[in-house]
Amino acid sequence: MKWVTWRDVRVDRIGCAWLIRRFVDPEAELLFVPVGQKPLPEDAEPFDIPGVRLSHHGGHASFQAFLAAYRLDDPTLARIARIVDEADTVQEAALEPAAAGLDLICRGIRRTSADDHEAVARGALVYDALYAALKEGDDG
Amino acid sequence: MSRDWLLLLYSIPREPTAPRVAVWRKLKRLGALLLADAAWVLPAREATREQLRWLAAEVGEAGGDALVWEARLALGQEEALVEQFAAQVERPYREILAELGRAGADLGALSRRYQQVVAQDYFGSELGQRVRAALASARGGAVE
Repeated sequence: MKWVTWRDVRVDRIGCAWLIRRFVDPEAELLFVPVGQKPLPEDAEPFDIPGVRLSHHGGHASFQAFLAAYRLDDPTLARIARIVDEADTVQEAALEPAAAGLDLICRGIRRTSADDHEAVARGALVYDALYAALKEGDDG
Repeated sequence: MSRDWLLLLYSIPREPTAPRVAVWRKLKRLGALLLADAAWVLPAREATREQLRWLAAEVGEAGGDALVWEARLALGQEEALVEQFAAQVERPYREILAELGRAGADLGALSRRYQQVVAQDYFGSELGQRVRAALASARGGAVE
């Protein structure tokens, strides 16, 4: 199916795109539209756009909304959701040291990619690596 | 030189209090300044733009209204505003420096405090670099 989000992806949207392709819809076709564009394409599921279902809710980033919506009950994904929350939203307490680094790396990936398609493809490598490291307990 | 700023103007229902307080705390955490009891201001940066966009969405979700403006001062009052931003980080920076001077200072706690303050240091305070150097030297002579 088709999925749509705003252009210029960062930590949350790169993470969501990875989550969609790995755990929800391997055949996903991603569309990137200019920030604020309305209306959104009707045949695509929108994500990480203010006001839609798969977006920030209750102080959590959009990655968390995917876990709830698709019942992805995996402790490693839950941990990544906490890291993305801390990287992408204002939090009172910092509990995930990886958050600031992941945020910066994702910004750099977008800067060094020709477009958003390339950015989410390259960003997937980072999320694959993060998933593997956390799953094996490499963070102690 | 003319700087770009972001203004957030919002209203949110008084009850329930939790979402209203959450938004207020996030603005404080971002180091936004409340001007004339009406508008919250932050320097216009990629990250602050993203954060205010989501805060506006959060206000909307709580039944309120929010507008995020790109703004520029028309009468050259930039310096006073930049000084207000600087003053708000310099006080905690001085506190960290004072603590570092004490015997048995808790370096872990002070470095976490430093990370919080530096996130609000939008104009690269010289004092902040001194704090960083003092923390690095206190943990064992790192060169910075």
